[in-house]
Amino acid sequence: MAGKIKVLLSKLGLDVHNRGLITVAKELRDAGMEVVVIGNSLPKEIINTAIQEDVDVIGVSSLGGAHLTLGGELIEEAKREGLKERIAFIMGGVFPPADGIKLQEIGFDATFTPGATREEIVSSIRKIISQKVDRSID
Amino acid sequence: MAEKKITTKEILEAKLADRKRTPLYNPDVLEKLRQEFEQWRNTTVHEEDRKNWHVTPRTILGSDIPREMLYTPLSNPDFDYMQDLGYSGQEPFTRGIHANMYRGKEFTMRQLTGFGGPEETNQRIKFMLAHGGTGINVLFDLPTIQMYDSDDPISKGQVGMSGVAIDSVEDMDLVFKDIPLDKVTISLVTHYPSNTAILFPMYLALAERRGIPWDKLRGSVQNDITLEEVVRSGPEYIPPKDCFRIQCDNIEFIRQNIPLWNFITYNGYNLREFGTSGVTEMAVALANAIETIEEMLRRGHDVDWVAERIAFFWSPASDFFEEVARIRAIRRLWYKITKYRFDVKNPRSMWMRCHAQTSGVSLMREEPLNNIIRAAYQALAVVLGGVQSIHVDSYDEAYSVPTEEAALLSLRTQQIIQTETGITEVVDPLGGSFYVEALTNDIETRILEEVDEIEKMGGYVTAIDKGWLHKKIAEYFYNERKMIEKGDIKIVGYNIYKAPVELPPINVFRYPEGVEKRQEARLARLREQRDNEKVNAALTALGDACRRGENVVPYTLQCAKVCCTEGEIFKVFKKAFGLWRPHVLW
Repeated sequence: MAGKIKVLLSKLGLDVHNRGLITVAKELRDAGMEVVVIGNSLPKEIINTAIQEDVDVIGVSSLGGAHLTLGGELIEEAKREGLKERIAFIMGGVFPPADGIKLQEIGFDATFTPGATREEIVSSIRKIISQKVDRSID
Repeated sequence: MAEKKITTKEILEAKLADRKRTPLYNPDVLEKLRQEFEQWRNTTVHEEDRKNWHVTPRTILGSDIPREMLYTPLSNPDFDYMQDLGYSGQEPFTRGIHANMYRGKEFTMRQLTGFGGPEETNQRIKFMLAHGGTGINVLFDLPTIQMYDSDDPISKGQVGMSGVAIDSVEDMDLVFKDIPLDKVTISLVTHYPSNTAILFPMYLALAERRGIPWDKLRGSVQNDITLEEVVRSGPEYIPPKDCFRIQCDNIEFIRQNIPLWNFITYNGYNLREFGTSGVTEMAVALANAIETIEEMLRRGHDVDWVAERIAFFWSPASDFFEEVARIRAIRRLWYKITKYRFDVKNPRSMWMRCHAQTSGVSLMREEPLNNIIRAAYQALAVVLGGVQSIHVDSYDEAYSVPTEEAALLSLRTQQIIQTETGITEVVDPLGGSFYVEALTNDIETRILEEVDEIEKMGGYVTAIDKGWLHKKIAEYFYNERKMIEKGDIKIVGYNIYKAPVELPPINVFRYPEGVEKRQEARLARLREQRDNEKVNAALTALGDACRRGENVVPYTLQCAKVCCTEGEIFKVFKKAFGLWRPHVLW
């Protein structure tokens, strides 16, 4: 896979909290990724933008409790558009550990809660991308 | 932009320059102390400590203020008891706004409640009151906060999470079922000016329905532009100047009609949590307050009439003594500003009344029970500072809204301070501490410097519009993040003293089922059963008032009475004022 990893970051739904998303946006950019940030968006919008921007990663931020409801919809929408294999899905925010596991079961490649370090997030994304590339070559 | 205005700092300097000071300390004794101090420094103090006499604590949301190793009278040689402290309940109010403070009126234990539908939140409110809570504090869900109806497509999957869903006056009625509105004080966390103009009238309409006269209602709303335009991430914003106009409309209407209600609680909390120091937090609140008073004067109102009911909302974080000192600092500074800049006559207008909520950002996901301790110390600091009401964050809030058990523990934290420690029997117990007084002075100076900076760039609304404040915040929290990762800011269980084994999981709150569907059904019924002609007339009249520059609140009140929904009212604002895009933060 040539070129920079391209990441779309979005607030999921109506969540008001901005701090985590902006921090991660800066960190990913500093790590050499190309970052597109859209504000509060619903799953369909996020997927449409992801297609338009031709991204490798979709990262959504949710501190408002809607991680399973809207997160689930995001994955469903991705499957409908045939994006699930190609794009990595990351969820960040505030949610119980049990829900973090559920999110991965429904299709998120990684989840991050407060305290996740820059190193963890960046290396996790790189690892997921390289695995997707390997799989697509087979 | 207007011609160069004189700033608050300049006014205070001019007016206070010639005040004669009466130093408490005998100058001869001070001289002797200085000699002894030098002697001590050179003999008893280690070289290491001599070199690093000032150390700056690195804490979450800290203000980077250096501290001496030991504070003595020499740290504050010019100390003038009457001018710097005075007696409690008297100018300059450093020691407290009342003479007897908690002996006369205990701090209100006002824990946030809000999740699910109005019925669920009603139950939690009753639970807290039954266990000794003395104030109600209602938090709304994200669709309600962002001013969309529960059945709006944009609200899907988010109704009743992280707050209670309120769409109309009917929901207000259910939230406050069996609650005597004239007997308890109620804080409605309406966040924004726009939201306050929409939700508070629903509360007023409810009071009317129940035959409760508005002059019996006690409580507060937030009503702060900082929240709507700076702190919030949202899909749609109205321009800052229109938001500020609504902030002042709310103040005007509430002051005129609900005399015991606190029409604004200057932020404060959410700004700091977003990412600023305790100093900037207070400077922003002051800049906002100053600009508000100026606008109210421009509208022809009496300054005491406005200032008397102004209130503030702070976020105590981890640096214990900074938190104590800054409550005292801002109390003295607010007095100076109201008296010397605005010439208020009523002592009540000089009181810095405030609510404090312990810092959420300082709570960790790792070892969540540690958060009980963190929040307890933060609450202790503001009790020592002398605040009027408190919310203690619950230990599980890094996971979700609190369980009943965690919420109760927060309440108990306050009750134990209030009843078991004996702290509340003495007014301003840390007053006179060489450390606390020096720190109070230092913080007051820093806050005023930052107010000056904001005023010099054109005032608070301009600072928002230009993106100056957004940028400052983004830099702050990015820097803080780096400091935490480097380990410069130490957090127990996270980057220091990490547990070698995974601890057992805690109970986490589960949202009730079916709330969204219930709200949708309610809205469908509401829209059918109400008089839609009246609804349309009310919304149209509101739009006209927005454009004509009239106070919007009598019109939003009419909307509330005829059962307009939140989303319908917000649409009118958007249409009348147009949309604004805030400065991009990265």
